[in-house]
This record gives sequence, structure tokens and C-alpha cells, in this order.
Amino acid sequence: MKDASIIVCRCEEVTLEQIHEAIRQHACSARETKLRTRAGMGICGGRTCRPLLDRLTMPSEGDSLTDFPLKVQPPVRPVSFAEWGQSS
Amino acid sequence: MSYGRIEHHPVLGPLPRAAALSFSFDGIEYTAREGDSVASALLAGGVRTLRLHEEHGSPRGIYCNIGHCMECRVTIDGISSVRACLTLVKDRMSILSGTVLPTPFRQETKTEGSPDL
Repeated sequence: MKDASIIVCRCEEVTLEQIHEAIRQHACSARETKLRTRAGMGICGGRTCRPLLDRLTMPSEGDSLTDFPLKVQPPVRPVSFAEWGQSS
Repeated sequence: MSYGRIEHHPVLGPLPRAAALSFSFDGIEYTAREGDSVASALLAGGVRTLRLHEEHGSPRGIYCNIGHCMECRVTIDGISSVRACLTLVKDRMSILSGTVLPTPFRQETKTEGSPDL
């Protein structure tokens, strides 16, 4: 299957090709890839593609992991601002 | 593809009786059984596309069916991003499917555009 038809981030519809392109062009870390391609910023909170992004941007074996992996972003479940406002 | 329900399951036997409920999805009336989730009631009614992707408009529907992936989110009685797979059907519920949202500021860069699946 060609990279263009493999969707890595289902919520933002970011394909493997777009991520490879971002990494190849800017040699970016997981966090920068997320910022450039929006993969991991979807409503599911990166549940599906966060580990994939970390894996895709992992340096080749042997190098130490210099930058930080992506962290799980709160809120754990999507909350609308309306609900958020009421709870405080 | 025919939809509808498994009336006589080879192992579970006949479908037990349940009260009939009616709800509307995008203005069309559907019937459901008490205890149906919105996603299963719509599937039984032949509706698989619950929403379109906000940016690229690709049709989306039930995926994980356990409330994990948010793909089945619809607007129920005015409340948006409600997961259809976790929400039980109530009588006279009005459900709206997700539509493409405007992206006025997005420029078409070369790597952009909808992936050709």
C-alpha cells in the first residue's frame, strides 16, 4: 500500500506520506511533526497516533533519545468549553 | 448489503421484546428498540455514515464502537461531539450528522489536499 493511502492520524486525516515528508524536509522531532502536520491534535487526544509519531521520529538504533516523546494531553475525554466553564 | 436486525440468532435465540422508540437523524425518522445505542439503531436503519470529516469531507461512521476513537460523534439534541456508540436512544431524540467545516484561512500547500484513498 502506498504511503499516501495509509492514514496515521484518523482524526486529522494525516497520511504516512505527509508525516514522512515533514520528517524528511525538516528532520523534526515527534513534537515538531505534530505541530507541522497536526497528527495527534485530533479529538481523540492522540490515542491512536501518538505512539506511531514517537516511533516514526525515533532516531535510528543506538542514538540516545534526545528529545522528549509526546505526552498524553489532558483532558482525558473531550470536554466542550461550555461544560468546562460550568464546572469551575 | 441488507441491514436490519438478527431476529433469530442461532445461539442467542429469538430477539427479546423491547419497547419501540422513534428518533430523527438529519430530519428522517427512524425506529429503534429500547436499549439500542444510537450507532446500532442507525446501523439497523441502514445508516452507516454518521458524519463527514470536518476538513476533507470523507465519510466516517462506527469504528471502535466502544467509545474510544470518537469517529461516531454526532450532535444529539443540540449537544455536539456526543459519541453515538455510547449513547442510548431516547424517544424523539433529534440527531444531526457531522458536516464539513469551513477552512477560510487554509492555503492549498503542495503536500495538502485530501489523501487519495
